[in-house]
Amino acid sequence: MINMKFSEIIKANHELVNRIKGTEYKIGILSNIMVHQSKDICEYSLRQKSINANVELGDYDNIVQDSMKFQDVNAILVFWEIYNFIDGLQYKIEILSDEEFEDIIEKIKIEINIVFTNLEQTSLLLINKFSSLIFNQYNLVENRMDRLVKILNEYLESKMKTNMKLIDIDKVISKISIKNSIDLRYYYSSKTLYSIDFYKEYFEYIKPIFLSVNGKTKKALIFDCDNTLWKGILGEDGFDNIRMFKEVQYLALELSKGGVVIGLCSKNNPEDVDAVLEKHQDMILRDKDIVIKKVNWNDKVSNLKAIAKELNIGLDSLVFVDDSNFEVNLINVELPMVKVLQVPAKEYEYNLMIRNAMNYFYNPTQTAEDLEKVKMYKEQVQRVSAEQQIGNIEDYLKSLDLVITTYIDDIEQIGRISQMTQKTNQFNLTTKRYTEKDIECFIHDKNKTVIAIGVNDKYGDNGIVGLAIINYNENMATLDTLLMSCRVLGRNIEYKFMDIIVDFVKNMTIINSEYVLTYKNKQVENLYDRYGFDILQKDESCTKYQLDILKYRSTNINYIKVENAK
Amino acid sequence: MQNRIKKVIADVLMIDVELLNDESSPETIEDWDSLKQMNIIIALEEEFDILLSDDEVIEMLNMELIYTILKDKIS
Repeated sequence: MINMKFSEIIKANHELVNRIKGTEYKIGILSNIMVHQSKDICEYSLRQKSINANVELGDYDNIVQDSMKFQDVNAILVFWEIYNFIDGLQYKIEILSDEEFEDIIEKIKIEINIVFTNLEQTSLLLINKFSSLIFNQYNLVENRMDRLVKILNEYLESKMKTNMKLIDIDKVISKISIKNSIDLRYYYSSKTLYSIDFYKEYFEYIKPIFLSVNGKTKKALIFDCDNTLWKGILGEDGFDNIRMFKEVQYLALELSKGGVVIGLCSKNNPEDVDAVLEKHQDMILRDKDIVIKKVNWNDKVSNLKAIAKELNIGLDSLVFVDDSNFEVNLINVELPMVKVLQVPAKEYEYNLMIRNAMNYFYNPTQTAEDLEKVKMYKEQVQRVSAEQQIGNIEDYLKSLDLVITTYIDDIEQIGRISQMTQKTNQFNLTTKRYTEKDIECFIHDKNKTVIAIGVNDKYGDNGIVGLAIINYNENMATLDTLLMSCRVLGRNIEYKFMDIIVDFVKNMTIINSEYVLTYKNKQVENLYDRYGFDILQKDESCTKYQLDILKYRSTNINYIKVENAK
Repeated sequence: MQNRIKKVIADVLMIDVELLNDESSPETIEDWDSLKQMNIIIALEEEFDILLSDDEVIEMLNMELIYTILKDKIS
C-alpha cells in the first residue's frame, strides 16, 4: 500500500467492498481536525488482510459528543490535535497568562475524562499521543507547547485502562519526516493537517493491533540456516568459517522469549547443524531455543507443511526467512499464505528487516503462557514421540497423569482469556474475538459465566488452554464461546471439559450452542454431534444445536483429574 | 493526458469514467462535494507529480478547466 497512489487506494478499496466476506469490523475515527482521507486508507490496509473493515468518521471537532454516539463499533481511534483545541493555539499559547494556560490544561483534562468515561465499554480504544513536533520543530528552548504536550501525555498514561492503547504518532512523523507528514496548505482553510503519505505510514504502523484482535498474528518464525542465521555455507565453508548474524539471532531470541516459535527449515546435514547449535562459540540461538527443526534434503514446501502440521498451527501463521531466490519464489508460489522474507544483500538491512518483521508477532499483553511457550512446544514434541512408542492411545493418556484446573470468572486471567479468543482458530466453535475489556464485562455480568481451564500432566504445565463463555436466559444456557488451544488436543480434554460445563449449568434445563464455519475450524465441525447435542437448524455456514441436560451422558473419563483453582 | 485526468477523478469519486464529460463539475455530479474536491486535487498532484497553487485550485471548477490548468502546469 505504501507505494500506491491515493486514487489507486480509493479504487482498490472500493473494489474490495464486494469481494470481502466475514463479519464487519467497525472502526470509528473521532477527531478535532479534518481526517476524511484516513477512511479509505485505513479500510484498505485492513481489507487487504481480509478484515472486513468499515470506517465511520466522526463529525469535525466533535470528539466529546461523538464519544457518546459511537457506542456500537469494534474500535475507536482518536486524532486529538493539540493545535486545534483552541483555534490557533500554536501562536496564541505563549501570550496567555499563567492562569489562562492552567485553565487550558484543566479544560483538556476534563474533556479527556469525559471521553474516556464514555468509551469505557468500547472493545478497543486507540488514542494518538499529543505531539508538538509539527509547529515546534525549530524551537531551541522548551516552550509552553512542549510542556503542555508533556503534561497531557503523562495525564493520558495515568488514565489508561485495559481497553486503551496509546499510539506514539511522533514515530510515524519522524519515519517519513515532518515535511512529508503534513500538508499545511489546507490547514488554515479546512483544518486538514496530515498528508496522504502520513496516513499510509500511520495505518501500516498500527495495523498489527487490528490484526492481533482479529486473530491474524503470526506465530512462528522459521529460518533457513546458511546465509540466513550465519554468513557462509556450512557444508562447504565448514564449521570454523561461518560467521554468525548476531543481531538477527538476538532478535529471534527476544521473540522466542515472548512466546514466538523459532524453527529451522534448511537443506543441510542435520548432524552438522546440530553441531553448530551445540558447540559453535558465537552461536546465540541454541538447541533449547529452537522448537522445531526440519534439517534435511527434502523440498522446503513439504518441510514447511510438516512444521505447520506438527505445531498444529495454520500455514498462514508462519514467517519464513531464506536467502535463496529459488526457495523464496517457490514458497511464494506454492504456499502463498506463508509470509516469506528474503535476506537482503546488505547485512545492516537484514537486521532492520527482522526488526520490522517483529511487528508480525505483535502481542499486546504477555501472559505467563507466552513465557513458557517454547518449553511447552518442546514438551509437545516429547509427548508425540511417547505416543508413538506406546501405541495404544488410552494407555498413553492414562500414563500422562492429566489434571484439569478450572478458573471460574477469574479476573486475574483476563489477559490470557482474551488472548485465546484472539489467537485460537482451529478448535474454536464460534470464533468470536474479545478484548480484555469485553472479558472483564462478561466476568462481572451476572447472566454470564466465563470458565477457563488449565491442563497439566507429568511432562509439564500447559497453562490455560480452554475457554467456555456461557450466557443464561431463564432456564436456558447458551455457549457463546467454546475453544481450546491446539496444543492439548488429542487427549480427550474436550470431552472432560464438556462434563465440567454441563455439571456447572446442571440447574438449567437446556444448553444451546452453535458451530460457525470458518476456513480454519473444520476439525470441530461435528464436535457437538459427538457431545450428543441435537441439531436444531443447519445451513452452509452455521449449525445450531440444543441439548436437554437430563439426557447428557458424561464420558466417565477417570484418568483426567479436575481441580478448582480457588 | 485527458484520459489520465478523467481516470483519476473517476477513481476518487468512485464512479464509472463514462459518466464524466467536459462539463462535469461539483454541480452536475452528486458525489463531488468539497471534501472530494480536495481529494481530487491531491490525487491529481500525485498523478502528475506537481504542486498546484491556491489560485489554480480555486479555478478548477469543472473538467474542462481542470484540463486547461493541468496542461498549462505540465507544459
